[in-house]
Amino acid sequence: MDIYLLAVAVVTLTYMLMTFGLNLQYGFTGLINFGLVGFFAIGAYTSALLVMAGVPLLLGFAAAALLAALAAWPVALLSLRLRIEYFAIVMLGFSETIRLIITNERWLTGGVQGIPGIPSAAAALGITGVDPNLVTLALLVVAVGLVLAINWRLVNSPFGRMIQAIRDDEEAVRSLGKQPGRFKVAVFMVGSAFAGLSGAFYAHYITYITPEQFVPLLTFYVWVAMIFGGSGRVSGAAIGTIVLIGFLEGSRFLRDVVPGISEVEMASLRLGVVGVALMLLMRFRPDGILGARAGRA
Amino acid sequence: MDTAYYLNLAFNGVVEGSIYALGALSITLVFGIARFPNAATGDVMTVGAFGGLAGTTLGGGVIGAILAGVAASAAVTVAFYYLLFRALAKRSAVASMIASIGLAFFLRAALGFFMGHDQRVYDLPLARATLVGPLRVQPADVQVMAAAAAALAVTFGLLHLTPIGRRMRAVADNPDLARASGINAGRVMVVMWLMAGALAGLAGVLLGVKTVVTPDMGWDLLLPAFAATILGTIGNPVGAVLGGLLIGVAQELSTPFVGFTYKIGVGFAVLLLMLMIRPQGLFARNALVR
Repeated sequence: MDIYLLAVAVVTLTYMLMTFGLNLQYGFTGLINFGLVGFFAIGAYTSALLVMAGVPLLLGFAAAALLAALAAWPVALLSLRLRIEYFAIVMLGFSETIRLIITNERWLTGGVQGIPGIPSAAAALGITGVDPNLVTLALLVVAVGLVLAINWRLVNSPFGRMIQAIRDDEEAVRSLGKQPGRFKVAVFMVGSAFAGLSGAFYAHYITYITPEQFVPLLTFYVWVAMIFGGSGRVSGAAIGTIVLIGFLEGSRFLRDVVPGISEVEMASLRLGVVGVALMLLMRFRPDGILGARAGRA
Repeated sequence: MDTAYYLNLAFNGVVEGSIYALGALSITLVFGIARFPNAATGDVMTVGAFGGLAGTTLGGGVIGAILAGVAASAAVTVAFYYLLFRALAKRSAVASMIASIGLAFFLRAALGFFMGHDQRVYDLPLARATLVGPLRVQPADVQVMAAAAAALAVTFGLLHLTPIGRRMRAVADNPDLARASGINAGRVMVVMWLMAGALAGLAGVLLGVKTVVTPDMGWDLLLPAFAATILGTIGNPVGAVLGGLLIGVAQELSTPFVGFTYKIGVGFAVLLLMLMIRPQGLFARNALVR
């Protein structure tokens, strides 16, 4: 059971990195990212390929975050020119294009067969004698702490007041003579770096990645986590992620309790629950289960 | 020889493009009147395809498939207008957009859960392709294009020749002015969702006639349909149709160069180029830009 709890903790913190990234982008700045899984995939493949080529693990992680941020840069520039509805569709297309590329460029990504045998964090660091997941968890705690610190510094600073002003009324920001563009691009890149880092952790935890793991459903898992906890609240993002993992893991047990549900049916059931959750949240609690944060109309 | 090859590709593109056109028309109606991009359009098409499956199983042939598929999709969209989108209309477009993704997942999950993931085909008689000059024409291609053309004619007839169509166009042009002139927005919405659902359902049936029916089939049509909508200027029905045909032909003609697998990416690339060069779409008249 301890081994199981350890695994759940690793998965929770991995998702939490992504939720913090999305929360920074949408919750605090109002940038819609329907392509989160694309940056997660970039991070996963970057670190997996680099570390397997002999690059040190931490450098692989840094490269994952950096490459995801760099990939976000041209996309973010596009966001400045497009209406939010158009941008949302473009982001969905972006993540599907990333999936097309990793499916087709077999020389680099192994195509549909994916990349097996990715070293775990412990193996890459040469640590033996302890549970490898414990090493991953320790690194994740550091990473989440780092991301939280960055998040907190960004939000509670003039920069943070600016991005929240952009979210609440971009026209007002413009009329004060400030240019929202630079801030939006910066936030988009930082949030995507978090997703890239999350992808790197995922790759070295699962040790086997294929294009099928990077479907749009994952993006909307994170959306549900963020909206559930209340977008624009760091604590909400954390709580939302825990509830999300509780559901994803809980459905595993449901299968033991309710006999006769196949794995394929369970996949449909999870998809359906995410769909219903998105509809119900938007319909009844758009500010999250915990209620609206102060200061937002 | 080569020309014949490209001609056949282009012809396939037109057939596929007329299916995209129906999807794009559905998206553009919702965007023009309910004012959000309906991400559930692809999965509403899948509902139509499964409805059509029920129609052929009952022995209705192509006509039965179309009637059952259109009815199933229209029922779904109108039901979710009452259950979901009507209440969200007061909020931002983002709320409706996220909810429509939820609806998309829900529809796909329900079909996957109850119908399984096996590939199904319509129980229609097989027919030999005929050669028209250098073109190999399947009877299904003719049926698809005829049905699409008929649906487009009916849609444009409704929009331009009937009182409810005039009201729909008024709401699309200027919702406040329309309300001020006493147009009942609720009725307009119901008719719009009926039409949007019927068009998506027909697209699903036609796709089912041409290929196979699975719970995941609609998703792959979503991006080309959106690309077609934006290419043809959002809210412009003629543009949606031309955009659909353009995307279909572009995707097919690109396959010798980029390979079959990158076909969907071509639609996305066209969309991106379009948004960068002319974000208001190909067929925007300046006076109509909001």
